[in-house]
Amino acid sequence: MTVIARRLAGHLARGLVMILVVATISFFIVNNIPGDPMAARYEKLIEGGMSPEAAAQAVKVLYGFQPTGTLWQQYTDYMGGLLHLDLGVSVSRPGTPVLDVLGEAAKWTVLPVLAGTLLSFLVGVMLGVFAAIRRTSKLGDALAISGSLLHGIPQYVLAMLLVVIFATLIPILPADGPVDILFEPGFNAGYIGSLAEHAVLPVVTYALSAYGGWILAMKSSVVTVLGDDFILAAELRGMKRSIVFRYIARNAILPLFTILALSLGLLLGGAVFIEKIFNYPGLGLMLIDGVNDRDYALMSGAFLLITGAVIVANIVADLFYSTIDPRVRSGEEAA
Amino acid sequence: MAQPETAPPQTAPAPVPAPVTPAPGVRIDGLTVVYKTTAGELPAVRDVSLTLEPGSITGIVGESGSGKSTLALSLLNAVQPPGRIAAGSVEIDGLGDVVGLAGERLRKARGAHIGYVFQAAQNSLNPLKTVGKQLLDLGRSHGVDDLRGLVREAKELLGRMGLDGARVLDSHQHELSGGMRQRVGIMLALVLNAHLVVLDEPTTALDMITQANILKIVREVHAERGLTTLVITHDIGVVAEVADRLAVMYGGRLVEQGPTREVLHAPRHPYTRGLIQAIPRLVGDIDEARALPGRPPTLATVPKQGCVFRERCALRMDICETDDPAALADGPRIVACHAVGVKERA
Repeated sequence: MTVIARRLAGHLARGLVMILVVATISFFIVNNIPGDPMAARYEKLIEGGMSPEAAAQAVKVLYGFQPTGTLWQQYTDYMGGLLHLDLGVSVSRPGTPVLDVLGEAAKWTVLPVLAGTLLSFLVGVMLGVFAAIRRTSKLGDALAISGSLLHGIPQYVLAMLLVVIFATLIPILPADGPVDILFEPGFNAGYIGSLAEHAVLPVVTYALSAYGGWILAMKSSVVTVLGDDFILAAELRGMKRSIVFRYIARNAILPLFTILALSLGLLLGGAVFIEKIFNYPGLGLMLIDGVNDRDYALMSGAFLLITGAVIVANIVADLFYSTIDPRVRSGEEAA
Repeated sequence: MAQPETAPPQTAPAPVPAPVTPAPGVRIDGLTVVYKTTAGELPAVRDVSLTLEPGSITGIVGESGSGKSTLALSLLNAVQPPGRIAAGSVEIDGLGDVVGLAGERLRKARGAHIGYVFQAAQNSLNPLKTVGKQLLDLGRSHGVDDLRGLVREAKELLGRMGLDGARVLDSHQHELSGGMRQRVGIMLALVLNAHLVVLDEPTTALDMITQANILKIVREVHAERGLTTLVITHDIGVVAEVADRLAVMYGGRLVEQGPTREVLHAPRHPYTRGLIQAIPRLVGDIDEARALPGRPPTLATVPKQGCVFRERCALRMDICETDDPAALADGPRIVACHAVGVKERA
């Protein structure tokens, strides 16, 4: 078995164990949230003026069952379902499997966050190189300060600032929902255009809030590599500037790829505030709704999905790193 | 493995055979290199004049901070900021005054005319690329059309130094030992046919057997290819082993130079004497080795006027406080010391 395959097998085994542990913990935590979904629905109906008997009846009809099993039985049922990827049925959206709800929500989260992360990575890394090379000049200082500043502003503050500026003061961009309901969903110019227009502010928010971290990380990484002996050695051997630059860039970007892979793993769970502010129906907004509705299955499912994404990202980061860094590739001891 | 080579420390270097290509001569004249610090620009090398005869091996000995590495970098006009060459010239045959070179002409001179070999412990190779790929980068940088020929030449050089060329070219830095890396460094310095080679601490951080091997290689390759070689070291033993000519640096000044054997047998400058007395002998009493009292100066503590060595000097005189001793020649030997007067040299 090759090194890579052996390492992959180890990762998968560890990942599986981790998922089981997280599923167990989130199951019990979620079940210990005060109140339960049936009671929440029941209270709502009572508040609506229904008699207690009628309300109890309505709840039973709505869900089709009244939970009677012990917590332990519920747990073994849940874990049994997990084995064939059955995350149960959403409580707040009766009849809809959790997996479908998650899938629908995920697409609204993954694309904008992915776009924002990659955009900020590209811009931040390029400007980071520049900030490092020009670190003694005013421009280099300005870039580094811009990075620190944006890195220091909380994401939700940035989002609200953008809404105030571009949707209220200068209303040129929409800031509510993912798409204009006027357009027929489908592959037509109006719908796609509206989608893109609505995505601008969320994507820019993700990009700006992550940009600071990239530029600062890349700057310090490049400065470190610039001080490495092999760069001076390459210059003293008369290597072309373009080649020396590639040596610098490739060595400096290595540690950032790890951060990128890990941050992509977190992208599913990292958008709660932003989606709330832009009313974007992604996983974050769904999670908030799920918590409000005491939707046990949906919450557990969302936590599992986020866990799974982080684990997959870790595995990808490790395997990817071992293909781009020869020191890791040949060293089994790192496995 | 091989027996430790117990070559007597002062073997005369093998006579240089007539070189195939004329080795360049180097004339360093009045070279001053300053570093910008918070206390202003301080000289790391001050008014140094040194001639490397074509085809010779010159050794520069000095403690850390004596300015020897700065001097070596000056040969490639590669003093790193915040340092700069403030005065003087470095004339290299076939290149002219290197201090005046810049841009592409300077870049092409590095590597093609002047080979620079780093200390083995320093990582002078890109850790992400194989030696072979870096060799190709080097060839492309210098407009080598026949890259296959370059690889062949590199394999030959590596084979000449006792390595499996094909395997080494296929390796990354982390797969090579210190001695192998040093040989790769020598190969990269020579593969473009440079005839002036600067070796900065070529044996530091290597074990004794590897040290002896590397020095043997330096000597042999020097003779075979007809090079002019400059070896920078803090180890007098290294110079004794390879160099025709020895120059001693202290506090940014060249205090003594001359033919290696003469200087080692009859050192004149009090610093050189102190250095040689400080070496413990294999035979004899360890107590005969006498450490030089005091500590070498740093950039900030080098005396601004007078002799740089007077603080530690046993022969200190009044004039040493005020006047910097001029480097006076006596045949092949040059000494900069007030105390070692003309009468003593006669």
